[in-house]
Amino acid sequence: MNYERELLKGSTDSLLLCLIKNQPMYGYQIIKEIDKRSKGYFQFKEGTLYPALHRLERSGLIQGRWQRLPSGQERRYYYITPKGQKALVERLAIWQDFSTAVALIIQPTTG
Amino acid sequence: MPAKSSYTDSLKDYLRLEPTIENDVVRELNTHFEDKSHELIESGLSEEEASNTAAKLFGSPRIVAKQMYEVYSQGSWRQALFAALPHLLVAALFALHCWQNTIWLLGIIIAVACSVIYGWCHGKPAWLFPWLGYCLSPVIAIGILLIYLPGSWTWLAAIAYIPLALLVIVPVTKQTIRKDWLFASLMLLPVPIVLGWMLALELEDKVMWYQQLHELASPIALSFVVLALTVATFIRIRQRRVKVGALLMLEILILLMMALRGNSAISFGGWLLLGLLALILLLGPALLERKIREADQKPLKPSNKSAH
Repeated sequence: MNYERELLKGSTDSLLLCLIKNQPMYGYQIIKEIDKRSKGYFQFKEGTLYPALHRLERSGLIQGRWQRLPSGQERRYYYITPKGQKALVERLAIWQDFSTAVALIIQPTTG
Repeated sequence: MPAKSSYTDSLKDYLRLEPTIENDVVRELNTHFEDKSHELIESGLSEEEASNTAAKLFGSPRIVAKQMYEVYSQGSWRQALFAALPHLLVAALFALHCWQNTIWLLGIIIAVACSVIYGWCHGKPAWLFPWLGYCLSPVIAIGILLIYLPGSWTWLAAIAYIPLALLVIVPVTKQTIRKDWLFASLMLLPVPIVLGWMLALELEDKVMWYQQLHELASPIALSFVVLALTVATFIRIRQRRVKVGALLMLEILILLMMALRGNSAISFGGWLLLGLLALILLLGPALLERKIREADQKPLKPSNKSAH
């Protein structure tokens, strides 16, 4: 359980950047989207999500903006910044290399 | 939604962020709370049940506030340097034997006054408080000098001085504590050190005092350099408990350095009292903050109830 938490902790920022990259989203929407896309595997708690979003915003990787919904309610949408896009590309490349290396060790060798 | 407002109130109690950031954070969490409650109501819960469940799902407001605090609590290196600057200027004053140089002294006074006015009018950032402490130091220094007045003049002057000094120190400290008690500790940090050095010098004998000041100039400068490092460390650290620990450890270290320097007029008991004063000035603001918050909340409670 702790191992799973540690893995998620290390990937939270990349997951959030990935989600926001295609479409600006607000906190509640992000939680729902992560839950839907991971088929319930990742269940982010609000207490984890918002500090992570604000940390990313403080690092200049994303930017939050208040926007009015058609219903009249206001939500804080997060947009990826050019710095965030660059960081995401780098992180995804590292992740690809890492997962390939892990797969090479875990999976039985053929031939 | 009583659970929502009680959650928001608890969160505000622990957040201690810049007012604009704090308002944004609370507003954002409120909108999430509303979305979550709405979803739970649609799934068949009553409004009260939905609100309570949403509050539970959010997790402890204390932990959420702590994590949010750690996002914003770390100042930049530039802020750390600017916060440490007043102590570095005082250290330079003694290291370069410039304490009688009018230009140096005037320069420091102008720098302190300008920084305090600018910081006070621009949202009271963390770097302001070490500067603010120096604004209060003349008040404390006058109090110490009263000890050396002849005979009953000390008592007469003290009667006039104490209320006037409190009139200046109390509102400033109270305002600072309202922002965050840790900033009041940061502001009052040099008091035991300034007091220690003033008591260590024999002010009654002018010739001896001048000679002593020359002898002690280097350790005085060193103590203010350590003070500057303490402030810079405080600004750079994220975790609140570590910030308190750093202030405590380094302040005690400076007092130990001063005591080990020897040949001072302060006895062992005097150093113990200075240590105790340092503890009171560092941790006392935490107790005062609790009292101030309790006093602030008392008149608000009936109006909160009527709002529901």
